Amino acid sequence: MPSLRDIRRRIGSVKSTQQITKAMKMVAAAKLRRAQDAITRARPYASLLEQALTRIAQRASAEEGAGHPLLQARPARVVELVVITSDRGLAGGFNSNIGRRVQRFLVENADRYEKVLVSTIGKKGRDFFRARQVAIRKDFTGVHARLSFEKAQEIAREYAERFLSGEIDGVFLVFNEFKSAISQKVTLKQLLPVDTGPAEEAAGVDFLFEPARDRLLRDLVPRHLEIQVWRALLDSAASEHGARMTAMESATKNATEMIGALSLQYNRARQAYITKELSEIVSGAESLK
Amino acid sequence: MALKVEIVTPEKRVAVVECDEVRAPGVQGGFGVRRGHTAFLSALEPGRLTLVQGGQETHYAIGGGFLQVADDRVMVLADTAEAREDIDVERARRAFHESTERLRSLTEQDQNHAMEAARVKRAAARLGVAG
Repeated sequence: MPSLRDIRRRIGSVKSTQQITKAMKMVAAAKLRRAQDAITRARPYASLLEQALTRIAQRASAEEGAGHPLLQARPARVVELVVITSDRGLAGGFNSNIGRRVQRFLVENADRYEKVLVSTIGKKGRDFFRARQVAIRKDFTGVHARLSFEKAQEIAREYAERFLSGEIDGVFLVFNEFKSAISQKVTLKQLLPVDTGPAEEAAGVDFLFEPARDRLLRDLVPRHLEIQVWRALLDSAASEHGARMTAMESATKNATEMIGALSLQYNRARQAYITKELSEIVSGAESLK
Repeated sequence: MALKVEIVTPEKRVAVVECDEVRAPGVQGGFGVRRGHTAFLSALEPGRLTLVQGGQETHYAIGGGFLQVADDRVMVLADTAEAREDIDVERARRAFHESTERLRSLTEQDQNHAMEAARVKRAAARLGVAG
């Protein structure tokens, strides 16, 4: 039976933990709003670009097969996973879900590819694979610290080069897709070769292209890659804050419950102490009669 | 009915407006778009994008990108786009001088040549628009 002082001390410690989780929740909520804004702002460009690209690429492939080397699928021997996690923890299952998904991919596709490389963006992912002795080809550092489109461009460019040089035959992004503030979905998305959907017969009005179509594709496709990476980064950032908010919310709730239970225990112990004291006094007085 | 114009960059939507005419710096020369323009997709150079509405001109400095016209809707996918009042003149001037300097010491074969040349163009576009 813990003493009154012990219980009081525990209540105090739970209370201060609760203050921290509450503050973290509030910070996450504010950051989430900003991250959500960034996603909304990036959306129009991404969808318009995708439309334009799909229009050209489908027309090109209907005529003479993929009009750009980055669209060209080939038998995949070596593929690479780009795993996006956060730099910080305390976000519930945010990072471990990603880790598990990657491990499942590695197991399921062990026979399908000759080799699966893993690269990480974010400290938590790096630590996860390091601890499990999974070789990491490259760790992109400092991406989350200041999220910028230039970073996404660098990453996209590197993969485009590796794909074109034949080092790798496919690239997948693994990240938390942002569904809503309370739900994130672990997503595995093919980055390369770029998938533009099934070839379809040229429909509707014919477009005038300037410069010529294939030249235009040369500019459009790399830009599309950059946007894909950029969106994954933005989604991951928003998901991280959402996950942290939910995690901290329930931590705060648990703390409240715990304080309730401890207070009850404290009051009982105090009552027991008083009762004991009283009965001692009464029996003392009784014996004097 | 006027042209519907939308200017977007990877980081945000810059403008959604209606206007009579759009003038843009295409990679194969500048061009203008008015109502009834044929469906058209063009790559853009860094330069000045002008929207004309009732004789009033609005200028944007864009850092390259694409422009698509379909059914009197013009969509500008710009790498960067700044209205005249948002341009950081001091920074553009500095970038212009630095890059011109560096460009002098590079040959055309150098892999940084294209990058620096593009930077000069972007800075020049900004300065041009800022006036």
